[in-house]
Amino acid sequence: MALPSPFRLLLFILTTTTLASSLLTLTIPPSNALPNPHTLPPGTHATLTSLPSSSNPSEGAYNQGHKSTAPLTRTATFTFPALPESSSPTSYLLDIRSAEYIFAPYRVDLAADGSVLGIWETFRGNPWDNRGAEKFLADVSAPASGRDVTVEVKVLARRGLYEERSTFSPLALFKNPMILLALVALGFTFGMPKLMENMDPEMRAEFEKQSRASPVSGAARGAIGGGAAPGNFDLAGWMAGTGNRPAAAAPGTEAEPSQGGAATGRESGGATRRR
Amino acid sequence: MRLQATLLWLASCVPFTVAIYPDEVNHVDFHHALLGVPTPESTFFLRPPSSSNASLLYTLSEDSLVGAINPRDGSPLWRQNVSRSSQPDHGPGLLRASDGVSSIVSAVGDYVSSWSALDGKLVWENWFVDESLVDLELLHLADPHAAPSSKDTVALFAGKTGVVRRLDGESGDVKWEYKDESGETPFQVSSSSTEVFYISLQSGLLKGTKVKVTSLDPVTGRQTRQVTLNSESDVSGPESILFVGANTASPLIVWADKSQKTLKVNVIGSKKVSSVNIENTSGQEIRSIVVHAPHQLNSLPHFLVHYQTESSSWAEVYHVDLITKAVTKAYSLPRVQGWSVFATSNKDANVFFTRITEAELTVVSSASHGILGRWPLQTPPQGRFLHAVAEVVAKGESVAVRSAAVLESGDWQLIRNGQNEWTRYEALAGAQAASWAEADTQEELAHQLQVEGHETIYGAYLHRVKRHVKDLEHLPEWLKELPKRILTSILSDEVSNLDGFGVSKTVVVATRNGRVYALDTGNHGAVSWSVKASQGEMWNVKAIITQPGYATVYPDDGSSVTFNVTSGGIVKRTSATTKIRSVAVVSNDDTPSTIGINEKGAPLEPLSGPGFFVTSSDDGRVLGWAASNNKVPVWEFAPAPGQKIVRAVARPSHDPVASIGKVLGNRSVLYKYLNPNLVLVTAVGGSSATFYLLDAVSGNLLYTATQEGVDTTQPIASTISENWFAYSFLAHPVHPSDAMGYQLVISELYESPIPNDRGSLGSAANFSSIHDLLPLPHVISQAFVIPEPISHMGVTETRQGITIRQLLCYLPSTNSLVGIPRPVLDPRRPVDRDPTANEAEEGLMRYSPYLEFDGKWYLSHVRDVIGISNLLSSPTLLESTSLVFAFGWDIFGTRATPSQAFDILGKGFSKLQLLATVVALAVGVVFLAPMVRRKQVNMIWNS
Repeated sequence: MALPSPFRLLLFILTTTTLASSLLTLTIPPSNALPNPHTLPPGTHATLTSLPSSSNPSEGAYNQGHKSTAPLTRTATFTFPALPESSSPTSYLLDIRSAEYIFAPYRVDLAADGSVLGIWETFRGNPWDNRGAEKFLADVSAPASGRDVTVEVKVLARRGLYEERSTFSPLALFKNPMILLALVALGFTFGMPKLMENMDPEMRAEFEKQSRASPVSGAARGAIGGGAAPGNFDLAGWMAGTGNRPAAAAPGTEAEPSQGGAATGRESGGATRRR
Repeated sequence: MRLQATLLWLASCVPFTVAIYPDEVNHVDFHHALLGVPTPESTFFLRPPSSSNASLLYTLSEDSLVGAINPRDGSPLWRQNVSRSSQPDHGPGLLRASDGVSSIVSAVGDYVSSWSALDGKLVWENWFVDESLVDLELLHLADPHAAPSSKDTVALFAGKTGVVRRLDGESGDVKWEYKDESGETPFQVSSSSTEVFYISLQSGLLKGTKVKVTSLDPVTGRQTRQVTLNSESDVSGPESILFVGANTASPLIVWADKSQKTLKVNVIGSKKVSSVNIENTSGQEIRSIVVHAPHQLNSLPHFLVHYQTESSSWAEVYHVDLITKAVTKAYSLPRVQGWSVFATSNKDANVFFTRITEAELTVVSSASHGILGRWPLQTPPQGRFLHAVAEVVAKGESVAVRSAAVLESGDWQLIRNGQNEWTRYEALAGAQAASWAEADTQEELAHQLQVEGHETIYGAYLHRVKRHVKDLEHLPEWLKELPKRILTSILSDEVSNLDGFGVSKTVVVATRNGRVYALDTGNHGAVSWSVKASQGEMWNVKAIITQPGYATVYPDDGSSVTFNVTSGGIVKRTSATTKIRSVAVVSNDDTPSTIGINEKGAPLEPLSGPGFFVTSSDDGRVLGWAASNNKVPVWEFAPAPGQKIVRAVARPSHDPVASIGKVLGNRSVLYKYLNPNLVLVTAVGGSSATFYLLDAVSGNLLYTATQEGVDTTQPIASTISENWFAYSFLAHPVHPSDAMGYQLVISELYESPIPNDRGSLGSAANFSSIHDLLPLPHVISQAFVIPEPISHMGVTETRQGITIRQLLCYLPSTNSLVGIPRPVLDPRRPVDRDPTANEAEEGLMRYSPYLEFDGKWYLSHVRDVIGISNLLSSPTLLESTSLVFAFGWDIFGTRATPSQAFDILGKGFSKLQLLATVVALAVGVVFLAPMVRRKQVNMIWNS
């Protein structure tokens, strides 16, 4: 910002090549975290924070930090129009400030005349000399002044500022295994007797005979057989695969042929007591 | 105690970070996004070019904030601070725009910038060092080649000489500049469709000032001609010129003669000065003459002159003949008692004048005096309007108007057809002090209970029965309300109404312009009342002290004003005494007494009774005082030579501690060092910052921490609570291997480093700061590198301190407020190794030096909360919930639930779903029961 007079400023602008300090432009390429950089809020800005000059900071003339900011332009870039000049080369921390998006921090080294010497990625909480990927390095052979630098800055992530509210949907209800089991049981309760009634007697007899062999159909038959249909079905026992084998069930309970050994001992025992 | 244990268990069960739900935004939080009081020259309605043809309200405030306001609800679309000038004291600046142009141009001091009108992003910016802006206009050239999306700017600067510059509308580069070497005072620029006019004031030899108009070629900037007007008998300086027409079809210069009998009008560019008689029939002296003219290129050359006397106001409308340059009076608007404000608007070429008086809003066309629309004001304005802008929509014969007017109090109102649509309390910007206030609804009950306590058992019983019987008179009302309450609680989408749990509190805020506002945190921070409290224009409030039902404001002149919190009425006023630096509160029993502290840090007068307080003085010392002695401090603390005290904080007045120790994974206990009288003093010197922990009663130094390589120009925030304190600063690498960045340091105080051991305290229940040897704390610290600076810190306060605390931090670079949960900032996190099973059980995570702020911690989520300088927290009756109020520039308030809202049913709990389940089960039982019964009967019969 040490432009001497407005008249020279005019000259500088008309003949841009003689401008001492260079222009630093930061662009934001679209990325997964930020597909459209134009959606960034207008408060987003970039800051350059300086380190004290490389001379020994513990001495009396302590060079306090310098800070400059650049607001977001409508082309989704940041431009530092006049980089600060200093008495000696200075190292700057470049941050892009946004509440919702996390940008990578950069290290910017400026020469005394305000031209950019180099730009690297840097890592927070790491030594300042630990430089990451190089974004820009000044060509020593080229004249240092009047060079405009454009670098791309990287969006690391997007902050989730909101909590997701779990919503109620009837479909999610059907994903619950307990509900599904209950529905299957309900289906058996109402559907199977109807199905059995529609079967002709021969097939029914054969089906009953077959179902004695397998526990699943045995359970189903319990429902069909009409012996206290829903209450008599021991879901837990069936799932465990125990206590339902006809061979095991029949001797344990009172032998009631019509009952057919369909039920577990406890249930039919109750039925006996009631009688 | 059992409740406490249950709550503790509950609080420890839930995860400690939970962000705000999108549907709770604007329910649990509120935000007054403020701009400051709008300036009359830089406020306008503008239609930015876009698909929608809705216009927006743009303003540049007195505090150099540019903003776009949605005129429908008064919400800001974007805001930008344009006070980026290198000059320290500059005026508010200027803002210019033009219909159909996508950018607006602002200039403050030596900084000129252009912003996209729709989204507030920068188009270009430019600095003109050592010069300051005088005037700014957009160039409306009748140039077919000019791109319609941008218009060039003509700016007038005053440095050593006056300079007129034309700035490119796309890049901000200078196209040409014209220097006025004559040494005259640069005054204004104006332009017509073919010329740019530079108006300067030439001091006469003996008296008076001549107005000089220099015409410039808009393409080259060369001077084409110069006209000097004979105004020296009337004009004595820039303040005597009433108006310089900007970009009108016929730009004008208007001034009045000294006796205010005639009005002189010159069409810029011509030499002719027309004189018009001022018809002042009121017999009173004219206080102000304001000229209103349309700013559009194609509008009719009509203008209005508004005269205001002490008790009445009227206006006259004049037409300008474009060919003869003659000014003729068209008609006058009637005189009304009291004040009125005028606003100009135009639709195509037609010009409308809107007039707001105390009682009504009227619209007239500039062509004839017939009133097109008249609406009585539905709500009488709270005070006098200072200036207004208006937008008129004409549909055939009828018109509709909306007008944004600024009140004397700094409030900004939009009146649509006489109806008050919204009010923006711009005076709240830059609030100086705020405090939680409690209404005295509980006062009566407390009084009754006190009566009962003092009576005999029988008498107290009778009194109680009577009280309850008396309470029954509210029963019918309550019953009447009941169905509505049940219905709304089930059906409405609102978060449960928690007003009964102390969530709805009043905050009393004192503003710069001598006003006091009461905001209701339960009602989106709405203003309950606002009162002009200061005698003068401005004041500097040092503190607001509240008692149930009352709030007392202490400005720095030693006076005080006491308000009724519910009504806003001024109860008591004491006159100014001596200048005070701060106010101290000594609370004995239930009557807190306040005392002013002067610049030397000494209390103004002694107080009776016990008590002590700590003050800081202007010369950088911290002093401890006994309340009864205002002459000699008990102790005095001065930092090391070369250091300067920048900040001193004490534990919050409400800071309950739920547990005196920290239970470790192996069931042993680290006892917390709990001293209620801790003061944390921050001192800076050179490149180091030192943090001193003092005992406030004895002044003993308990702990010192010094940080090297600190940038002391950056904010250093600190806070202290319970048995821990935190501070933050920007550190530069002292050694090459150091990291650069902002750091946050957390320190915890324990009685001894060994679990189950209380060090020198042994089994003592109390310790004395004075009589015994004060035990020193064992301090454990950890530092974290954080991505951005913290300028202010606070701590959430809950009723019993069971809920974990959040460290509230204001981040000025992203304008956000974060609440960092304390378990994250545990200085006992294991370094360079994974936590052992015991440590994992305690909830300790492995230490990582870099602490990225989690999105869930952002209390302000996407809100852009500007310029917070103070964070207040208040407990509610719900243990889980803490109220947070932040002020400074914007006003932001929210409910923080650091351990989730574990004691309330949130919005996620669907009452409707619960009811539906119960109903479905009932229906199922009704259907299935007879079926089962039939089956069982059948089974018995069949067997």
